[in-house]
Amino acid sequence: MKQRQYINGLMALAVASVIFIVPFVYIFLMAAKTKQQASTLDFSWPQEWHFWANLVEVVQTRNYMLLLAYFNSTVITVGAVTLLVLFGAMVGYVLQRRPSAASRLVFGFVIAGLMIPPAVVPTIWVLQGLGLFKTLTGMILIQVAYGLSFSVLLFRSFIATVPRDLDEAALIDGAKPWQIFYRVVLPLLKPVTVTLIVVQSIAIFNDFTNPLYYLPGKENVTVQLTLFNFQSQFQSQFNLLFMNILLVTIPPLIVFIFFNRQIVAGMTAGAVKG
Amino acid sequence: MTKPIHSLALASAMALVGNLAAADVTLSVLIDNNAETITAFDALTAAYTAAHPDVTFETEQRPGGADGDNIIKTRLATGEMADVFVYNSGSLFQALKPEQTLADLSALASQANVVDSFKPVVTSQDGAVRGIPFGAAMGGGIYYNIPLYKELGLSVPHTWAEFMANNAKVAAAGKVAVAQTYGDTWSSQLFVLADFYNVLQADPNFAADYTANKAKYATTPAAMQGFAHLEEVFKAGNLLNPDFGAAKFDDGMHMVASGEAAHYPMLTFGLGTIKQNYPDLVNDIGFFAQPGEDAAHNGLTVWMPSAIYVPASSKHMDEAKGFLDFIASVDGCNVMIKAIGATGPYLIKGCELPADVPPSVADMLPYFQTAGLTAPALEFLSPIKGPSLEQITVEVGTGIRSAADAAALYDQDVEKQAKQLGLPNW
Repeated sequence: MKQRQYINGLMALAVASVIFIVPFVYIFLMAAKTKQQASTLDFSWPQEWHFWANLVEVVQTRNYMLLLAYFNSTVITVGAVTLLVLFGAMVGYVLQRRPSAASRLVFGFVIAGLMIPPAVVPTIWVLQGLGLFKTLTGMILIQVAYGLSFSVLLFRSFIATVPRDLDEAALIDGAKPWQIFYRVVLPLLKPVTVTLIVVQSIAIFNDFTNPLYYLPGKENVTVQLTLFNFQSQFQSQFNLLFMNILLVTIPPLIVFIFFNRQIVAGMTAGAVKG
Repeated sequence: MTKPIHSLALASAMALVGNLAAADVTLSVLIDNNAETITAFDALTAAYTAAHPDVTFETEQRPGGADGDNIIKTRLATGEMADVFVYNSGSLFQALKPEQTLADLSALASQANVVDSFKPVVTSQDGAVRGIPFGAAMGGGIYYNIPLYKELGLSVPHTWAEFMANNAKVAAAGKVAVAQTYGDTWSSQLFVLADFYNVLQADPNFAADYTANKAKYATTPAAMQGFAHLEEVFKAGNLLNPDFGAAKFDDGMHMVASGEAAHYPMLTFGLGTIKQNYPDLVNDIGFFAQPGEDAAHNGLTVWMPSAIYVPASSKHMDEAKGFLDFIASVDGCNVMIKAIGATGPYLIKGCELPADVPPSVADMLPYFQTAGLTAPALEFLSPIKGPSLEQITVEVGTGIRSAADAAALYDQDVEKQAKQLGLPNW
């Protein structure tokens, strides 16, 4: 019995490592190749190691565009995720705790936000009207608008599992509504907040099409857009492209490793604290 | 006495302001992200700023393909287009609603330098020329491996029968006769599209009749040939590379340059890939037009280069036009040749190519030097190009669908697009 478990575990580990590690090894090997060898897209050992040279070239391309892109992407991701957590939790709380005709209507709009696809040109007109087009602020607001429905849904269903008795106990102790939210409810939402942060920050950091259309301009690059420095319709420099992919993959990976512990901690700490 | 002084002061102040304003002009430029485009524009803008220190540039890149189309249309629709931008000519140009969105460049002084055959592909429905050519014209035809041709004692074919005979000899020698790369579906269309010169020889009115819904691929024998050739090459059984279903464009270029394959049907921009990845093989590839039925009528189907446009919404219209005047001049053309070399003739009168062009470019030039040996591809003569052609040609090229069936299906595919464009008689 014990041995069978051991073998099963080992097989699962082997399968998982093939699925998750092989693509990463491929990216790493491609990133170290020369232009000529990379153009064949083989899964092979590099004949010459050009890892450092490729790295330097990618970072220096277009006047250190990648560094600017890291900055822009970080600002957009952090800003948008912060707003998403804050507003998602607030709206979800009200919608769950106060069922009424008005909250059902608002919930209808939230669902509509998930279902109706956004149109690019009218959205740009709105941004132009507000003077937010081609600004990071405008991009953050777009990401918030696109992600808010999902966050509200997630928070609303999670808040349903938080007993109302806690709110009432806090109310009897003399807490104001905002105190109930910030001091009693929000700390209990940690597990779902961590989930949301992980899901949304990866989605926003990796977003390609929205920055492509809503954030034109030389200064407004995001990391995903830098991939186009090395890939074009007819000619691609695959070694630099894969090096860029490697560099772009690292920040979310760090976030994920960091939050992995937080997720587990958040799950176990889901109970009421004293 | 005071009045003249006032006006003098005013005049000098205005002159000062004028100078300052002139010094401030920064033209925004939006180009595609092909390495050659970027290099060419770096050289052009640097040369122009050197001659006109009051104009500086801010260059921005966009992706190609469908994303690029969307960016161009979105930015034109929202009035956010750069002062100067590069985009395809021909049917994609017509899709931009050029009458409303692009500036009229008919009066540009340098239009006199532009080769006349280019102008129709950047002329809007109202007859105004709205672009100037950017880069070299491309030919659609067949790359061949020169050392392999010498080794097997082959000569450049002038008819399809000769081409197939060459293929048989190559296959007998144990090499790949025709490289095909259906992993990049667009590369499957070449046999059909590059055959258009031959279609026009048999039926000179095909493009006009086709646009007017009078001629069809399925009912025009000459037009059917492209599909038939594709089928024939597959049916022969031993001509294609074994991985033709999955190979990519890069693989195809490598095969024909290294001598693994004898032929690869492609547009002449493919040379750029060889220059980048296998610079020592550049002299091993040659080029010939896709042969037709008749050796007496052997000519090249030509793809017009992209064009440079100025949007109607540009705030620096005069400076932008000045820059375009420079690009379309012989000087501008030479700057480009110096920066990126030549993969084909530039469409500027008096702009000579250097003597040391690679053999595949040299092979292409004779077609341009004699009148009547080139014809534009169908997509420059007719606004209709069905969106599914590349899928259909993959089906034919892999033996899934017969040539006759494919031609009929493509006629149906085209119908949707013609109706969307609102063409008469569809």
